[in-house]
Amino acid sequence: MVMSRGMLLLAAGSLVLVPMAEAKAVVKAESAAKAGEDISPLDYKPQDKDERGLWMQMDEAERALKVSPQVMRDAALNEYVRSVFCKTVGQANCAPIRIYLMRTSQFNASMAPNGMMEVWSGLLLRTQNEAQLAAVLGHEYTHFQKRHSIKLFRDVRSKSATATWLAFTGIGLLASFGLLADIFHFSRAMEHEADIGGLNLMAKAGYDTRESSKIWEQLREEMDATAASRKVKSKKDKNGGIFASHPPSAERVAYLAQEAVTQPGTPGALGTDSYSKVMARYWPLFIDDQLKQNDFGASEYLVSSLGKEGWTSWKYFARAELYRRRGGDGDLDKAVTYFSEGIAGDGSVPELWRGRGLSLLKLGRTAEGKADLTEYLKRAPGASDKAMIAMMAGG
Amino acid sequence: MSRYKTVLVGAALIALTAAPALAGWKLVPAAVPVAVAKSTMKVTPGEAWNRASHRASKKGETWTLDGPSINEVYFAAALLPGETFYKDVNKKEKPLPVMGKNLQLTDIPEFYESSQRIAYNTAVYEVTGSEPTKFLGQDGIKFFYTFAVQGNPMQYKGLARATLIRGQLYLISFDAPAINFYDRDHAKAEAIMDSARL
Repeated sequence: MVMSRGMLLLAAGSLVLVPMAEAKAVVKAESAAKAGEDISPLDYKPQDKDERGLWMQMDEAERALKVSPQVMRDAALNEYVRSVFCKTVGQANCAPIRIYLMRTSQFNASMAPNGMMEVWSGLLLRTQNEAQLAAVLGHEYTHFQKRHSIKLFRDVRSKSATATWLAFTGIGLLASFGLLADIFHFSRAMEHEADIGGLNLMAKAGYDTRESSKIWEQLREEMDATAASRKVKSKKDKNGGIFASHPPSAERVAYLAQEAVTQPGTPGALGTDSYSKVMARYWPLFIDDQLKQNDFGASEYLVSSLGKEGWTSWKYFARAELYRRRGGDGDLDKAVTYFSEGIAGDGSVPELWRGRGLSLLKLGRTAEGKADLTEYLKRAPGASDKAMIAMMAGG
Repeated sequence: MSRYKTVLVGAALIALTAAPALAGWKLVPAAVPVAVAKSTMKVTPGEAWNRASHRASKKGETWTLDGPSINEVYFAAALLPGETFYKDVNKKEKPLPVMGKNLQLTDIPEFYESSQRIAYNTAVYEVTGSEPTKFLGQDGIKFFYTFAVQGNPMQYKGLARATLIRGQLYLISFDAPAINFYDRDHAKAEAIMDSARL
């Protein structure tokens, strides 16, 4: 039996899932996950045929993942994320869990039943401090600890294997409308349990638990920004309605904020400095990936969020590039301003001159543009676009 | 890799209606000039290629020798400002970038990169170099790139030539796995690019 992509997503408890449809309904999340003891990754082995089968599928998926070009193997980044995870769930519990950092621009993390966790680079760009990262890692660990995958698998199967398999291969989705809604209700309850479990772990590890709800507030703001720039309605309250496997973000903000009052953890312990110190090396790469996603509003929101900690050359560069690439009315003038601010700073990014030069050429300021391109080539003599830029600078 | 495949996978997951039709292929004979991408651009291949009946865009055309994930030539012709490289199949959620009004040759690699990143849903993509070239008898740009897509362990390499003629964008690209196939086939694809005429 080959697992479909949909079934793989189901098997791996994921922080965010793409909604399956856009019907709207409010389904109250309550703990439907059947009572059962928590498991420890240290000595847990799959218990029966179902679970062994699921683990086998996941082991196979993990073998493929190990050689994936998407996996970021950088030692410093991996060590840091693992250290935050171990601090959050405890040194003993963290050891058997494998974390794979994936170069993927979207916000997501997932946990498979066999202890394979994925954290996407788009998430690392969006979490603003160590406490927020701990909230996500704790959430994913809770999925593992509560054996959510196998429970979901059984729930799906008990409701009707045939209809569900068909649904996840894209055929017969409408026919199983009621059934699916029920399954997703179950899944949403487990997401709620993972959210609260993650917050408990954060509190024990000594983080400020208010950061947990802030992640979802930030995502809601980002969705507003995307919508505003695309001139459409924000999707922040559109979690897929009756088909949604995850609680609506507003509901998450509310119950996580409430839980943080009961369990504050260590107020003020955000780990902003430690997070920024490690991430500073990777943010330029992750924001570059984001800029190329053609989502002006979200990119502008994320660049501004990074700017709150102080504007550096590459942050000005990112903001300027955003406007240069869009190139709408007035955008090139704004781009030139931001490039200039970066140049006036420490000017450590040679591409600042490239970007300003190309923008100035389009604005008809040819002599200044060519001078900037010449300066770029002087500062980046080994640039991969050297020949092309030299032609623009000299022609 | 083919965008058609990406669309199919996406469709398999979310389609509410019938399964999409399968792609058909037609042989393009060797050494005969043939118009591509529903345009006046003509190319003369050195050997027979297979042309996909499915179009990634109204102004696009895909050719392959052994299958699009092994070697793929993509033609885009006469693109106008406001148009996309491929059909904007997920316009609401992940719109493709559109051609800018004052596009310059140096903007083409980033326009193509962003389009491919979104079409393939990947962040593992790098433009590795660019240089001036002649294409369709005009000043043009030649650029090189590498990429990978989720769920496929292969690294891909690509190269493209493009130019702007009376405000319209023309491009021919070639993508193949970095292992073996790129080196084996890129000269055949470049011969097609060399043969392109308006």
